[in-house]
Amino acid sequence: MNIPPQQLLILAGILFAIGVGGFVIRRNLIVVLMSIELMLNAANLTFIAASRMHSTSEVQNLDGAVFAIFVICVAAVEAAVGLALVIAFFRRHQSISLDSLGAGE
Amino acid sequence: MEQLVFYSLGLGAVIGALGVVTAKNPILSVLSLLWTFFCLACVYLLIGFEFLAVAQILVYAGAIMVLFLFVIMLLNLGTSEAADFDTARAMGRRLPLVLLVGCTLAALSILAAQQVGGTSDEARADLRSVGSLTDLAQVMFGTYLLAFEAASILLLAGTVAVVMLAKRERRKNAA
Repeated sequence: MNIPPQQLLILAGILFAIGVGGFVIRRNLIVVLMSIELMLNAANLTFIAASRMHSTSEVQNLDGAVFAIFVICVAAVEAAVGLALVIAFFRRHQSISLDSLGAGE
Repeated sequence: MEQLVFYSLGLGAVIGALGVVTAKNPILSVLSLLWTFFCLACVYLLIGFEFLAVAQILVYAGAIMVLFLFVIMLLNLGTSEAADFDTARAMGRRLPLVLLVGCTLAALSILAAQQVGGTSDEARADLRSVGSLTDLAQVMFGTYLLAFEAASILLLAGTVAVVMLAKRERRKNAA
């Protein structure tokens, strides 16, 4: 429990950077959605690190944990709606590559 | 010791994240993401947020990743790219992943044994109080009650949206 929050923030930063990279580079819609999930997890880790930073030895600050649970809830909704959109996209274009977006219309 | 476990978990999470972005086969991406979520849940456990670790495993690994796998298999996406997948190379690729999972599980069990067995009663009470479910519930249903209700409305709206998105296309096909 004595891990400094700075290291958590560094790990969150690395994961968020990888997520942004995947979001920009990849053309597969499902991998793009997974990159978003990765970024949301990095945000969760940042919330946790902030929660650790603001808690003293007597009083534990739990605001960050509560917000991380809300982020998980939002991520579940986002994944469900995103995957429904992927299915709609697939029905329309017979592919889930973003490259087929311009050619379909 | 904790630092060492944290570093290995962080390294595992980063490797898994890189695997998500670089894997050709979407199913491998999903499995890498699953691994990353598992490592992050272990990190949460390490710094004392037990409930968050459980929620991470249940919601992310249990529900969201199954949804991803379900869609990939529903749309039959894995097969075209998996066909030109050399079996020996695939096994060689899977071996480090298996080793990584095993190493982290071992590290986690060692840490858990150390935390539970090697601490005094006072330290154990302290461990239990940090991020305990009662405190978490008091904050969640006290300070953030409105946000909690808003989250329930969001879930309902998401359900309706998914049904509409899946239904509209079928009606168009039928008409």
